[in-house]
Amino acid sequence: MRVHCQILSEDERQKIHAESIKILEQIGVKFLSQRALEIMHDNGAKIDRDKRIAKIPAELVEQALKTAPKSFVLGARDRARDVALPRSDSGYVLDLGGVFTRDFRSGERRYATLQDNDDAMRIFDEMAFGSVVWPHSIAEGETPHSDAIRLILSTFQHSSLHVQDEFSEPREVPYVIEAMAAILGSEDAVRERKLYSVAYCTLAPLVHEGGMCDAYLDLIEFEAPILIFPMPCTGATGPCSLFSNIAMGNAEALSSLVLFQMARPGTPLIFGDASGSTDFASGGFLEGSPEMVLMTAARGEMARFYGLPNTQAGCLTDAQEPGAQAVMEKLLTTLPLVLGGVDLVQGPGALQTSGMLCLEQIVVDDEIAGLCKRVRDGIDLSDAKNLFDDIAEVGPGGHFLMQDSTLAACRSDEFFVPKLSNRNTFERWSDLGRPDLYSNARRRVEEILAAPQRNPLPDDVVGKLDEIARRADDELK
Amino acid sequence: MSVEEIFQSIVHFRRGEIAALVQAEIDARTDASVILEQGLIAAMGAVGGEFSAGRLFVPEMLRAAETMKIGLEVLRPLLVEADITPRGTVVVGTVKGDLHDIGKNLVAMMLEGAGFAVVDLGVDVDPKAFVDAAAESQAQLVAMSALLTTTMPVMAECIGRFKDAGSRARIIVGGAPVNQDYAIKISADGYSSDAPGAVELAKRLVRAPGREAAAS
Repeated sequence: MRVHCQILSEDERQKIHAESIKILEQIGVKFLSQRALEIMHDNGAKIDRDKRIAKIPAELVEQALKTAPKSFVLGARDRARDVALPRSDSGYVLDLGGVFTRDFRSGERRYATLQDNDDAMRIFDEMAFGSVVWPHSIAEGETPHSDAIRLILSTFQHSSLHVQDEFSEPREVPYVIEAMAAILGSEDAVRERKLYSVAYCTLAPLVHEGGMCDAYLDLIEFEAPILIFPMPCTGATGPCSLFSNIAMGNAEALSSLVLFQMARPGTPLIFGDASGSTDFASGGFLEGSPEMVLMTAARGEMARFYGLPNTQAGCLTDAQEPGAQAVMEKLLTTLPLVLGGVDLVQGPGALQTSGMLCLEQIVVDDEIAGLCKRVRDGIDLSDAKNLFDDIAEVGPGGHFLMQDSTLAACRSDEFFVPKLSNRNTFERWSDLGRPDLYSNARRRVEEILAAPQRNPLPDDVVGKLDEIARRADDELK
Repeated sequence: MSVEEIFQSIVHFRRGEIAALVQAEIDARTDASVILEQGLIAAMGAVGGEFSAGRLFVPEMLRAAETMKIGLEVLRPLLVEADITPRGTVVVGTVKGDLHDIGKNLVAMMLEGAGFAVVDLGVDVDPKAFVDAAAESQAQLVAMSALLTTTMPVMAECIGRFKDAGSRARIIVGGAPVNQDYAIKISADGYSSDAPGAVELAKRLVRAPGREAAAS
């Protein structure tokens, strides 16, 4: 059987759901968007207009759960990389939410550029477990008002995977729709193919932002999926127990579910979580901690409890540099999610609490993904794997290296073959220059960036994207 | 009863007993400045040292600061009478468009604990509101934060407004996407990556007269 990890019992899932409903009904959620507040009011939530708080009854949650799709496809520019949700194996979301990049040549941290974004996209495109990309955050671009649009367009150009990002205001929406229409040929195809989805982070505790919320209420008309992604930090922006932090994050997620289902029933939603724990010595947000992955894994189970696709934050680290701490924390925060069967793990590529991109880390994280999948696949006890006859044939004292079954199995999925880890003898390893995980990963990065881009867009489409970007530069000033 | 007990009640964040302890010292006619300096401020100095060394956690440090504040309220009428003023006044807030305030709150609470008067403007603060509040409160320092790349440039705009207004208040910045280079670029007077660093910066800048570059 496949190896399965369970964080919550059935009773515990019921208990968390009941607590979340209690939070929604008795405390309520604050909506800074007037449109959102009106939608909640029109659908039966109790509104305090002065405080902008909506108390959401359980019936609204039940109703929203009925209309939220249980399965859908995140389209990719390369159809072969479409992501059908839910999945049987975990896929991965490239995490470029931070503003810094570790310069590939110097190793120094600096603000990210559009080129860093494009390089990361090309590398992740070549990774076996890459499913979805988040564009990099650029702090100081040349066109500050249209940088977000330029980033998304450049990401479409350099990645053949599904693109997920966020909008901060409604006026950005039409440019991205137009770009997708240019890539796909029509606006109908934009609705059908769903090349683009957005991440919606509630503001813990229990607040929905204004501009982002309004932008998404526009975007759902184009049937773009929304990743609901609360980030309560237990002990700081969330209550200081894993139980209550999970219940509150779940309540924030359910309030988002209600909003978008009431606004447009059938809107595809991914029920995610990016909870953190607090570094009590500094007050900082931690995401490479065991508590973090316990919470996101539990929220993954809540998503399945509701029958919704999910993305959970994982494969994360608070390490400042590539190295042992990064690998340890990333493995720790990936394995429980993979064994729990979450659809998408959001985190690869980043160091420094998702603050800094590291190109070689993308390759290392793909190795971690491979290791975790192997454990998840477990032990095959089918008749095909019962090699009693081989044992009989070889008998006591022989060896199995010459058996047909050995030849057939040695390159099969039953045995994980690392791409980066060292398994050489000491002498061979010394002759190779004593490579480590990261030096091997760096070589792979160099190979990918030296090769032509995989699956480039046709020149005429690139020309259209350039034209849209230039227009955004002028119009969004 | 003694000033030492006041010191200990803060260091061990026993907020329930501090008011009575301070009142007892006042009743015993201990000088207000002695209660303030040797009891309240000395204790917060010790707490700050333990926190900076990583031995005290944020919730403990904040409770100690809260304990100190309760004691300070009891003492305040005497301080006003004796004309003893805070270390300085700081205006804090997150810039326009940014609603992420956990770091800002931490800085505000730690500044209060260090003896500053804090004017907290909250979140999503308009550049003009920063300038007006600093003028009104005669603040020596303004501390602004941004978590988003989209709101970082607003800090530069705020600094421009302060210059235009001819303000002498010094400006420090912080937040996850901000770094020292950016602070220098926008002509901030200082940058800190965390709350204890912000308090040290505040102490240094409020003590030293005149403007200086962020790098100094």
